[in-house]
Amino acid sequence: MGRHTISAAALALGLVVGAVQPSLAEVGVTDTEILIGALGVLTGPLYNNGKTIYDGVETVYNEVNAAGGINGRKIRYVREDDACKPEQAVPAVKKLIFEHKVFMIHGGACSNASLAAMPDIVKAQIPWVITASTAPQLTDPVNPRIFTTMLAGWMETAGQLQRLIDTGAKKIAIVRQRDAWAESRYKPLLDSFAQAGLKPVLDEEISADPADATAVALKLQAAGVDGIVAVLFPKAATVLIRDTYKIGYKPLIVGGSAIGDVKAMDQAIGIKGALDHFQALSPTKAAGDPSMAGWKAKVKKYYPQDEFQTWHMFGIASATFMVEGLKRAGRDLTRDSLVKALQDLSVNSDAYAGPITCRPDNHQCYRSMAWFSYINGDIKEMGTTHLK
Amino acid sequence: MLPYLLISGLTSGALYAMVAIGLVVVYRSTGHINFAHGELFMMGGFFAYSMITLLGFPYLLSLVLAVVLSFVLGVISDRVVFRPLMKAPGTTIVLATVGFSYLLKGISRYVWGGKGEYLSIKAIVDPAPFFIWGMPVLPQQLVVLGAAILCMLAFVAFFRWTKAGKMMQATAESAFACYLVGIRVERVYTWTWGAGAAVAGAAAVLMAPLTLLTPDIGSGLLIKAFAATILGGLGSMGGAVVGGLVVGVMESLAGGYIDSSLQEVAAFVIIMVVLVFRPSGLFGAYGVRRA
Repeated sequence: MGRHTISAAALALGLVVGAVQPSLAEVGVTDTEILIGALGVLTGPLYNNGKTIYDGVETVYNEVNAAGGINGRKIRYVREDDACKPEQAVPAVKKLIFEHKVFMIHGGACSNASLAAMPDIVKAQIPWVITASTAPQLTDPVNPRIFTTMLAGWMETAGQLQRLIDTGAKKIAIVRQRDAWAESRYKPLLDSFAQAGLKPVLDEEISADPADATAVALKLQAAGVDGIVAVLFPKAATVLIRDTYKIGYKPLIVGGSAIGDVKAMDQAIGIKGALDHFQALSPTKAAGDPSMAGWKAKVKKYYPQDEFQTWHMFGIASATFMVEGLKRAGRDLTRDSLVKALQDLSVNSDAYAGPITCRPDNHQCYRSMAWFSYINGDIKEMGTTHLK
Repeated sequence: MLPYLLISGLTSGALYAMVAIGLVVVYRSTGHINFAHGELFMMGGFFAYSMITLLGFPYLLSLVLAVVLSFVLGVISDRVVFRPLMKAPGTTIVLATVGFSYLLKGISRYVWGGKGEYLSIKAIVDPAPFFIWGMPVLPQQLVVLGAAILCMLAFVAFFRWTKAGKMMQATAESAFACYLVGIRVERVYTWTWGAGAAVAGAAAVLMAPLTLLTPDIGSGLLIKAFAATILGGLGSMGGAVVGGLVVGVMESLAGGYIDSSLQEVAAFVIIMVVLVFRPSGLFGAYGVRRA
């Protein structure tokens, strides 16, 4: 065999190997594995909001892996803690990018932390699918490699206000907690009020961890407020609802996705009828929806300590979308091929009230919300709103 | 609105008073503020949650067991954390209590995490509100108020009339002098940390239906309770209760009449004002001199 023949054979072999395994060159992808990083809150007061979401994501990935993986590769999901703080998000995302060398990031639960991590992710040109951070500036204007499967903050508060207007409330107030999460929704909410030709009758703040909200409830009652946009997490909302009920005051209180677990609130308050005047918005179906029974069992299988919550459902929906995107990107998986697949993808998950639909010019891929009430001991879905 | 705000403030204040009593118990015996007291309270609440909600034990049995477990936790914390530092400067012990508080938070997240945004336990009494002179009150709030007063009276009697109580106070006055007269100071400290934790556990069982349980509940309540003890006079049992009630009322009035955003700030304002204008508090500080 001459030298030219050997060279040609080597070249051909190289081309064949290259054709079969081009992804070997892609960071975070091997012949058998895709390494995906999770950036989110795993410690601190809001740890539950991150941990349970990633438990939901990993449940989907575990199930996919158990069924053989995606295009011959299994997914490995590594978590880094941003503690919901910008100063911890930056080292956490650098660790994912430079130490773990992940293929992409699938996570983000706190907006302020995600915003802090964003410059590093953009600079590294890594695809990022956001699971729960709601700050609109993460995805608007469109960055080609960043997508979100969660409602943007303005969508929720716009929906909450619309719900109150639709139900006939005339004197509408805002009650918000004091943190960056609520602040990111506050300005868009005021914009929604202005667009509706309204002004909030009262604008009250309470702690995210209050023991009592009677003073605020009394002020709302004295002002004759009949509808409240609650920009609150569950604990603050629970105390507000309990204390409005305690003083015999019954405005319609409309909450966002963070307080979608009305059954847990009912158990915490323990007073029959206290939740009759509360409606919660949720991107998800009810946690008790029959379609979730299978997922509930799967989460329990992998995380026996977890009680199934809507936070898990955020993760399940987002991971379902991701899995479809990875499938469509094919065996020749690169960051570019994934982005191409994601930007024109529509997926119906078991967990969400509507489809997750990304378009090249719109990466805020989820715009549906369901309304829930807790009446006579049962969670009732009151309807679904799909924003345009 | 004023009567409503006063009632609301008093019932919130009872929560702070109950936590403040535990702080005073430890301070009067060791001369140290236990900055892990809020987390001991939190652990007591989770003990009760485990027994009432997870194991289905009756409320009163759970109360007793939560107090016992909290006492054991207090004793363990003495043996593991504080005993090795007994001769260290006060700041070291204060820092150790802060570190211990974070350890307890981490443990609670590990053991009870992932079960929800917060956890709740049922109230010992009917949770529905009733009316006193036309003003709504949650029955559990009155239970906490009554328990705070009972605890205060019990500990006042303990410190004033029992040998153990006098020994505890003596060790705070001068541990060295106590050694000289044969008091086993280490044992006194062990009982003190245990008793402080037990009070926190009892408070948690009674208060958890109102405050709800999260691993981070302790730090917020500790600040309010600390404001109460500063206001009442550091070391004064009655002062802790009165201070707690005043902090609660001030918060309520600030939220109702000035701005709701000031409600949470009220405790810090009280701490600053008292430290500047009356450092000994309303009822005078309980003097502590270290040997």
